[in-house]
Amino acid sequence: MSSLEGRTAIVTGAGQGVGEGIARTLAARGANVVIAARRAETGEPIAASIRDGGGVAVCIPTDVTRRADVEACVESAVDRFGALEIVVHNAFSGAAPHRLEELDLDRHWTPMSRTGVWAVLYCGQAAWPHLRAAGSRGRFVLVTSPSGIEGSVNIPLYSAVKAAERGIAKSLAREWGPSGVTVNCLAPVAASPALAGAFAGNPGLRAAIEARTPLGRVGDPVHDVGTVAAFLAGDDSGYVTGQTIVCDGGSFVGL
Amino acid sequence: MRGTMVDTEQIGDGVVIRPRFDPVARPFESLTDDQWHEAWERPVLDTVAALQQAHREGVRRIVVVVPVTSMSGGSQYVHVAAPAEAIRVLVKSAARQWGAAGVTVNAVAIAPARVLDDPGAAGPVSIAPAPLDSADPAAVIGFLCSEAAGDITGQTVTVDGGAWM
Repeated sequence: MSSLEGRTAIVTGAGQGVGEGIARTLAARGANVVIAARRAETGEPIAASIRDGGGVAVCIPTDVTRRADVEACVESAVDRFGALEIVVHNAFSGAAPHRLEELDLDRHWTPMSRTGVWAVLYCGQAAWPHLRAAGSRGRFVLVTSPSGIEGSVNIPLYSAVKAAERGIAKSLAREWGPSGVTVNCLAPVAASPALAGAFAGNPGLRAAIEARTPLGRVGDPVHDVGTVAAFLAGDDSGYVTGQTIVCDGGSFVGL
Repeated sequence: MRGTMVDTEQIGDGVVIRPRFDPVARPFESLTDDQWHEAWERPVLDTVAALQQAHREGVRRIVVVVPVTSMSGGSQYVHVAAPAEAIRVLVKSAARQWGAAGVTVNAVAIAPARVLDDPGAAGPVSIAPAPLDSADPAAVIGFLCSEAAGDITGQTVTVDGGAWM
């Protein structure tokens, strides 16, 4: 596995769950990590923990649904570390079960659209001048979901938003490829506060997920997902772009 | 009030939903919030509304038409690939929710040349024996709207002359 020593990575939604796992792994590989969490109360302890372990991390409170916040985060990262090579957009909120014929758009659509798709626009546009300057070290990684490929009976609009992220990644891979920058998606199933909440609300859910997963367990944000994100963030994946790596223990094995 | 970003047509027992996408190639870094709202939010939400209407009316065969760009991506067509792929996967979710009621929902992916101004930027390289914009999806759409297609749901049928595989 290639080192990320000296490279700077912004990880959105890194205050918990999958984002935290990715941030910790990138830091362990040597990256300067910016914990872009909406609230300092969640992000700062993660950054402090990374620093306590010998890594380099700062928390920059960032609401990814606000263009100005994202631009300020990117500029702060570059001011502090001198460059920006890696952006991992993981932040997401608002997934709640719904029927297509009984939608409340304010509840079932807007939060996901804002954090999942509008935020990609903001992150990508703010980071682009710096990723382009990084050339073949430039990486844009979007955290999507297997349900963004196969759809979902429980959360259709979540699947749609996650699918949109894949469409964006494929297009940006083509558009940014000549500069050397790669754009890929990571589709994990891993332990997170959101999944824990789902388990609490549905006692049979964990067993159901484990039963349909060939590897028989829910993924770990650091050891199962963070490592794949580190691959996509580093030199070893330099010839991989426009792809989605599904990281779910084999649950989804379709095209 | 602005009009819908979706055209609908009844074919046989089915309804065909054709979202409209911004056909102009636009570099990603140039996209404004207003353009993003028009290109991303409106086609998706108007397609949701069209699906809801078809469901309310008891339609049993629903077909949604998107450009292949949904799956292939396209340089300077982020603003098309995002809504088109969202809609294509929305079709799968609708098929999952409504299948037990006998409703089928499928997607037909058509050549970018039929939708976009600059299909050359939209990804696929033609291997078709005829010009890409000649790949006519009408027959496939008609079949998916028929009773004979009752066991097909949640699928995407690509009708682009083999440009994208």
